[in-house]
Amino acid sequence: MQPKPDRGEFSFGNAVVDTQPLTAAGQTRLAKVMALMTAHPEASCILAIYRQKVSGIATRSDLLNVLATRSDWVTMKLSQVMTRNVVTVSATAPKPLLALLEQLQQHDISHLPVVDEQARLVGLIAKSQLLQALHRQTVAAQSPQQAPQQAPQQVQFSQHSRRTQLLAEITLKIRQSLQLKEILQTTVDEVKRLLNADRVLIYQVFPDGTGKTISEAVASPYPSILDMSFPEEVFPEAYQALYAQGRVQAIANVHAPDAGMSECLVEFVEAWKVHAKLIVPIVQPMNPSADSVSLSKQLWGLLIAHQCSQPREWSEFELDLMQQLAGQISLALSQGLLLAYLEDRVVLRTAELTEANIALQREIKERQLVDAALQQSEAQLRLITNNLPVLIAYVDHRQRYQFNNQVYAHWLGQHPEDIVGKSIESVMDKAHYGKIREHVAAALAGEAVSYESELAFQGGQAHAVNVTYIPHIERTEDRKKNKKNKLEVKGFFALTTDISDRKAIERMKDEFIAVVSHELRTPLTSIHTSLKLLATGRLGELSDDGQQMLEVADDNTDRLVRLVNNVLDLQRIDAGEVTMDRMAYDAAKLLEQSADAMQALAQQHGIEIQIQSMPISIWVDPDYIIRTLTNLIGNAIKFSPSGNLIRLTVEPYIKSQPVEPHIKSQKASPKEPHVKTTFKAISNKVTSNKATSKIPSTSNKQALFCVQDDGQGIPSHKLAAIFERFQQVDSSDSREKGGTGLGLTICRKIVEQHGGRIWAESQFGQGSRFYFTVPLSRELI
Amino acid sequence: MSTKSVLIIDDEVSIQKVVSLSLQMEANWTVMTASSGQEGIRQAERHRPDVILLDVMMPEVDGIATFEALQNNPITQTIPVVLLTAKTRTAEKQLFEKLGVAGVITKPFPPLALASEIAKLVDWTM
Repeated sequence: MQPKPDRGEFSFGNAVVDTQPLTAAGQTRLAKVMALMTAHPEASCILAIYRQKVSGIATRSDLLNVLATRSDWVTMKLSQVMTRNVVTVSATAPKPLLALLEQLQQHDISHLPVVDEQARLVGLIAKSQLLQALHRQTVAAQSPQQAPQQAPQQVQFSQHSRRTQLLAEITLKIRQSLQLKEILQTTVDEVKRLLNADRVLIYQVFPDGTGKTISEAVASPYPSILDMSFPEEVFPEAYQALYAQGRVQAIANVHAPDAGMSECLVEFVEAWKVHAKLIVPIVQPMNPSADSVSLSKQLWGLLIAHQCSQPREWSEFELDLMQQLAGQISLALSQGLLLAYLEDRVVLRTAELTEANIALQREIKERQLVDAALQQSEAQLRLITNNLPVLIAYVDHRQRYQFNNQVYAHWLGQHPEDIVGKSIESVMDKAHYGKIREHVAAALAGEAVSYESELAFQGGQAHAVNVTYIPHIERTEDRKKNKKNKLEVKGFFALTTDISDRKAIERMKDEFIAVVSHELRTPLTSIHTSLKLLATGRLGELSDDGQQMLEVADDNTDRLVRLVNNVLDLQRIDAGEVTMDRMAYDAAKLLEQSADAMQALAQQHGIEIQIQSMPISIWVDPDYIIRTLTNLIGNAIKFSPSGNLIRLTVEPYIKSQPVEPHIKSQKASPKEPHVKTTFKAISNKVTSNKATSKIPSTSNKQALFCVQDDGQGIPSHKLAAIFERFQQVDSSDSREKGGTGLGLTICRKIVEQHGGRIWAESQFGQGSRFYFTVPLSRELI
Repeated sequence: MSTKSVLIIDDEVSIQKVVSLSLQMEANWTVMTASSGQEGIRQAERHRPDVILLDVMMPEVDGIATFEALQNNPITQTIPVVLLTAKTRTAEKQLFEKLGVAGVITKPFPPLALASEIAKLVDWTM
């Protein structure tokens, strides 16, 4: 609202002029206009202003109408609502209040902008204010001293003024209430008072032609016809049509022959003591909920004045007054309908909002429950992650830490809040990062990686750790290529476990085994060698019994040596302490070495060893494969009669079933030195870790070894059992053949550690074939 | 072939005895013994054997340290050394071979073939 400068006295008085009218630019959106109207409830209209000049007016009624009829009102502008012509009055031109009122009525407007010489807005005259001012003037003028005889013109003017004033008063009263019942009752009361009539009523006509008196002001002792319903015959449709077109009927005497009333109707009105009546129509107001096109006028009802005491001539003034009041009633009905419509819409909208609110509340509650559950779950997860003795971290695809558990603080003295968001490279020094860079790259390429390293804990002590990276892969939509289900590595989880204790135990075990190995084998060597030397006979002849005893001791020493070897080896293999130092090795060479190692035994038993092979590079620990081959060859020799042949073969072999993927463990490559590198997150102390190199990717391509003999064979039901501990074809074999029952078990362990498989095919009495597979070296994959 | 002389350095007396007897019986070699690395070095300096059989696991100064001392001694550095050990792996063998030993014999060894095994390693003709 724009304040206007004081323009001094208005010619018609300052009391009627609002010098601070509500204004806005014509392009202002209705939402803002409505907000302004709400903020200024005393304003009955808003003026559209352009360069301080009024370009239009929109009353509250206009705005309400738009709200009720236009669903797009929010986007409309003030200029679109202003449909009335702007009629202004000069601030300095002398004009009596009545003249202003007539101007308002003449143009059927309720507001007069007041402008200066340059047509700039200086104020606003509202009809209601004008009427109040007139009323005050009238009251002040109604003194007995001021009632001299007036000239006829003055009388006429006075009557006109009085009529206008009365109409204005009634209109004001009508406008003061939006309640229809109140408006109608006020009307009948005022009309009765003004016309000094015996009865004034408002008769509502229903769509079926019947009607009812809905408002009445009646003088005593005349009967009341309030709330009385009348049949259609009382007010035929033909008459309704006439009144709908604006017919007014003033009957001075219902009994007069020229009254034009039928006998039955005269009898009817006589029952209510009616001598004279004045009837004006009240037309159907525009229904805001109806189609705006169908605006044909229809009769809503009648405003009727009765004179019951005597016949009466109705004056033009009274006719005019009734008609104008009927118009006000029609307007009031329109406002009432609009109000009812708006109230209905408010109720509907309130119901919708309530329902939406309930749904929203429900959703909020559900979300709160979900949030609470999520928080609880997160708290539990944090509790677990912070209390597991494992470093847990999540690294995103940009190699930045996004999560670290509290163990980082306990072990490394680095609090998660100090690490989160930082890159791996910045948290650890560059040299260390360089060592693990390839593992990080592999993880971000979608590969699960595991390697061992050393970590300096706070306090400086180095701990052996096992580090595992698990890639976090999600399916996303590739919008560029318009493809769905594209796999994307979002980051990886890093788990670091302290394996110091395990390593210490491993070292202790290794030392124990080394010590035991040495402490068992050394005396065995002495015993074994001594007995062998004795057995040569060159240290003196023994009696037959002595020789026999010597052979027993010698044989059992041999057996003991083998048993010690096997037990220690099996124990180490079972405990996972045996690490296969795999390398690329020629399979044919392994066959040769194995055959050479067993040549003496073979010759001793009169067995020939035949090799059929081709150069095949395999990825194995040669010592252990030789061990396996010598074991199998030894068995073949032991269980073959003299003069037989043992065939050793190796050839490429393609597995019928694919190998399952597994985490690639990082082992030292013999081609690379055992580089002592460091992995350090916090301290600057250089520690060491195992060198890493990737093992060949899993492949179906392998080499197949076969040791075939023509010996006694193996019953089919024992073919699987012979690979179990202390299982032999015949337990007597252990005594006769000197077996320990662990050889094939060890062979199986060795082969399985290489990712291969071992099995036997045999027919009892017709020889056996022992097969095992090992992977080809990566050069061939 | 002239008789070879062998120095056995092993803290186990029983090993000394059986190895000595085996080599004498099989190859008629002259055998000297020492029970520690230090004693072995002194023996080697004094007698300059044709080959030294050296046990790996010995207290105080182990076989590897003894070998390195022998190699650093201009008097003994040309004498071939064969290691005797309770258990060796290929990786360990490669490590030993990198040291420059002539060979490695695993215990327990075939006693009647010990001489030929040593001869093969030091490239002697039996």
